[in-house]
Amino acid sequence: MKKRCFVLMLLFLMTLVFAGCGKKKAMPNFEVPEGGYDGSAVTITFYHTMGTNLRTVLTSYIEEFNKIYPNITVVEEQVGSYDDVRTTISTEITEGNQPNIAYCYPDHVALYNLAGAVATLDNLINSTEKDGDGILGLTQEQKDDFIEGYYAEGQQFGDGLMYTLPFSKSTEVLYYNKTFFEANGLTVPKTWDEMEALCKKIKSIDPNSIPLGYDSSANWFITMCEQLGSPYTSAEGDHYLFNNKTNRDFVKKYREWYKNGYVTTQDIYGSYTSGLFVSTDTVKSYMSIGSSAGATHQRPTKVDGAYPFEVGIATIPQVNPEKPKVISQGPSVCIFKKENPQEVVASWLLVKYLTTSTEFQAEFSIASGYVPVLKSVMENEVFASHLAKGDGGDYIAALSTKICMEQESAYYTSPAFNGSSTARDQVNALLNKAFTTDGDDIDKVIEKIFKDAIEECEYNG
Amino acid sequence: MVESKSSWKAWLYLSPALVLLLIFTVWPIINTVRMAFLENYSGLEAIGGRSFSIGIANFTKVISYKKFLDCLKTTVLLCVITVPVSSILALLIAVCLNSIKPLSRMLQTIFFLPYVTNSIAIGMVFAAMFNIIGNNIGSENEIITTAGIINNIIEFFGGHAVNWINAGSTYAANMTVMIIYIVWNALPFKILILLGGLQSINKQYYEAAKVDGTSRKRIFARITVPLLSPMIAYVVITGFIGGFKEYSSIVGVFGKTMGPAGADKRLNTMVGYIYDSLSLNRQGLASAAALILFAIILLVTLVNLYVSKKKVHY
Amino acid sequence: MKIDENITMHQQDMQKVSVRQKVVKILVQVALYAFLILMAIIVLFPFYWMINSSLKTLDEYRLSVPTFWPHVVMWENYVNAFNTANLGRLFFNTMYVGIVSTILSLVITVLSAFAFARLEFKGKNILFAGLLATMMIPGELFTITNYGTVSAWGWLDSYRVLIVPFLVSVFYIYLLRQNFLQIPNELYLAAKVDGTSDLKYLWKVMIPLALPTLISITILKMMGAWNSYVWPNLVTRKEKYRLITNGLRNAFTETTGDVNYPQQMAAVALVSIPLFLVFIFLRKYIMKGVSRSGIKG
Repeated sequence: MKKRCFVLMLLFLMTLVFAGCGKKKAMPNFEVPEGGYDGSAVTITFYHTMGTNLRTVLTSYIEEFNKIYPNITVVEEQVGSYDDVRTTISTEITEGNQPNIAYCYPDHVALYNLAGAVATLDNLINSTEKDGDGILGLTQEQKDDFIEGYYAEGQQFGDGLMYTLPFSKSTEVLYYNKTFFEANGLTVPKTWDEMEALCKKIKSIDPNSIPLGYDSSANWFITMCEQLGSPYTSAEGDHYLFNNKTNRDFVKKYREWYKNGYVTTQDIYGSYTSGLFVSTDTVKSYMSIGSSAGATHQRPTKVDGAYPFEVGIATIPQVNPEKPKVISQGPSVCIFKKENPQEVVASWLLVKYLTTSTEFQAEFSIASGYVPVLKSVMENEVFASHLAKGDGGDYIAALSTKICMEQESAYYTSPAFNGSSTARDQVNALLNKAFTTDGDDIDKVIEKIFKDAIEECEYNG
Repeated sequence: MVESKSSWKAWLYLSPALVLLLIFTVWPIINTVRMAFLENYSGLEAIGGRSFSIGIANFTKVISYKKFLDCLKTTVLLCVITVPVSSILALLIAVCLNSIKPLSRMLQTIFFLPYVTNSIAIGMVFAAMFNIIGNNIGSENEIITTAGIINNIIEFFGGHAVNWINAGSTYAANMTVMIIYIVWNALPFKILILLGGLQSINKQYYEAAKVDGTSRKRIFARITVPLLSPMIAYVVITGFIGGFKEYSSIVGVFGKTMGPAGADKRLNTMVGYIYDSLSLNRQGLASAAALILFAIILLVTLVNLYVSKKKVHY
Repeated sequence: MKIDENITMHQQDMQKVSVRQKVVKILVQVALYAFLILMAIIVLFPFYWMINSSLKTLDEYRLSVPTFWPHVVMWENYVNAFNTANLGRLFFNTMYVGIVSTILSLVITVLSAFAFARLEFKGKNILFAGLLATMMIPGELFTITNYGTVSAWGWLDSYRVLIVPFLVSVFYIYLLRQNFLQIPNELYLAAKVDGTSDLKYLWKVMIPLALPTLISITILKMMGAWNSYVWPNLVTRKEKYRLITNGLRNAFTETTGDVNYPQQMAAVALVSIPLFLVFIFLRKYIMKGVSRSGIKG
């Protein structure tokens, strides 16, 4: 009897625990301590990948930050590449040595989340605890100031919670040879159909050219899914959804482009497509789709003090120009859980300071070529005059940023989970493979390539 | 007589090495075995509070991987071809270097230079040499920006350019490049080791041979090779061990895709598989794959040791 | 008369033979040099490429058609490399870690190799096979466990964490054992009869004879310190303990996350110079070999 009672009790307790677990998943994992930041002395570390010039900007703003919070010591560390940051932190988590703040991409966060190591930001963002003259959380004004697409990336983890804040961003833009376009009376394509017609025309003007170079095959695939509204991946349930008719069709269409010599990708071309675009040799391209942050690589080298041609920048072609979609890339920041909640709050204060400071965002953008994450940066005088200088030559980075700021409503991000980077690698390979594989029945070939990619994803995921 | 006395001494001499090995090598290996038998083990998930059942699921998952045999094939092929080729070439170079007088200092210095060359540079130069940069290679719309130095040389001698490492290239062409690259990469180390070994051979042997008027060939076959055989055995055995762990050289030429554009992972190896699993934090799978690899290398090494015991002159 | 003729003919033959021998000898020499020079060029190519890249602008480096000599020679890359990374500190750290770990490692390696090559004890072969077996597991799998160990000991951010875990290398023990095995065992037995102690024998006979190999090990070990990246990047956060590769790789990351290769190459070339000089110096010792005639084989 006693035994039975005990077993029942145990069962009951277990159900409670399980119920708790089930609920916990959708609940924020960090509670803001009463009173917010208590002014105690804490040291917080920030892992990033910034080069020397950006570190200078960062440290100058950390100094400003310390004027407000003198007891928070910030140690910023350059850990290497994004991959280095990810491997280092995922090892450090196993011993509880992870930093407080880190530069991150969504799939990194998904990885850290296997250990439940990343603090959710929801309670911090919504906190109304007093802090200095204002509140600890974000005011409605501050929330609204973030570019929506960038801000939404923090919630792409399938549970509706907020894990990251955008730090500095980039996207893809279309670079074109303005001099050539003007000389031949060509217009910049707004849709993919226009792009096809244009490529055909360029090919007839200069048969030795590859009209369009697309830097990243993965971005092309994912962006097409988004523009067509067809599934790519999902953070919950069945992760890999990209094997569908719509996607196979667009792959088949672009395969034709490739076969006609209209387009190449960096992987297939075997070298930087920007190198092809800036080339002044016989083989060159007249359009190049690449990262907005790499604008300076898309500018030809000066010959006798002048650029051989002028570069124009535009939004990438769309399926529906009324509802444009462009990929959001570039680092966000996440905060790690720590035993001392004050460290987390202090980390939040720094993250909030850097991501909501118009001055910092402006200066960082000018120094890096990345896009600021706040709309209000446009009103910053220094930034506005920087953008005003934008041209297809010396100030190409400013022009690129300007184009990005104009398409602020177009940004999308894809779902993040452990394995989302595998999906990205697989669709990258898929596109290159579909372009370069021949067969009697091309539909069958493409179907098989899709099937293989899904299998590979599922094995790894 | 010697045995009983030197036994404790031997352990004394070995103790510093053994203590460090226990901590930094044996313990991690035990841990590897543990992870291999915890089904779907992930270090991060373990921290997150997940528990794992004991079983052999990791092993079956590795073996059931569709491309497992491909990984194994590439690994074995590279190993079986590159180790003998690089060892023989290195031996020839070392012996030649050892037997010349004029220019010898300069040439030796040159053969040292690879040690101060950054490994990134070595990968870059290879890509540049074999890379055909262009579009639609091999079709009617073909456009070639540059065919690469190697193809320029081939064309200079009247041959046809080969698509070595780019989209549409064949497995055979890819492997040829990898073999050249690996041999090239392994040469400096092997030359250094064999040169060191050659210098340890007492000159009196050669002087005696000279007095007898023995031919070069005979000296090489009867004196140099037997006396150098321990070092040759070393170079071959460690070459095989290293060869089975081939990974970074393939990344050096093909990048992380481990294959030409359109054929990702075509040249993936066992260690490549382990890396992929580790980057997704699946240490269970990685450990199981490592133990399988271990079993294979162990077998090969035992064969090697058996052969060398018969052939090596100590 | 006939005999005389015969003799002269014989002499002519002899002369012919010696001429032929000479020709063959010269041909062999020519072939030898041709082979060595060809191999030297092949081996040198990456080194040349490193210097070539280090003198380019980033734009030129990214061109589709690689150039064999920079259009604009960018000596500035070297100046920038020198100014950007804290080369002095990085250099000191690397030298310190390299030298200390090489010395300790040599001692451990010599003792172990001696035990395996010359001493007899129970389980020697099994133990040796076991050591060889440890080389067969990819080292990357050890990283997490070893990180756990040094972290538990509180060793993070120190010199010892960069030195101690890698002091023992089965690779080098094996190498030196093989080299010791090249030395005839009779020498050892003779020394035993003379009553020479093991350590004295090791010091006076084995080490001098194995000097070329010991120097090879020194070079490899130093290069290891020069090239190690993953472990130092994981276990040291403070600038104070950073090694050269970490400092170099990290200093030249462009804003897009790309690496500025030309500058990085310049930095690599820059820090390689002292190393190169050391190698030239050591090379003499490798090539000198065992010319001492006091030792009988």
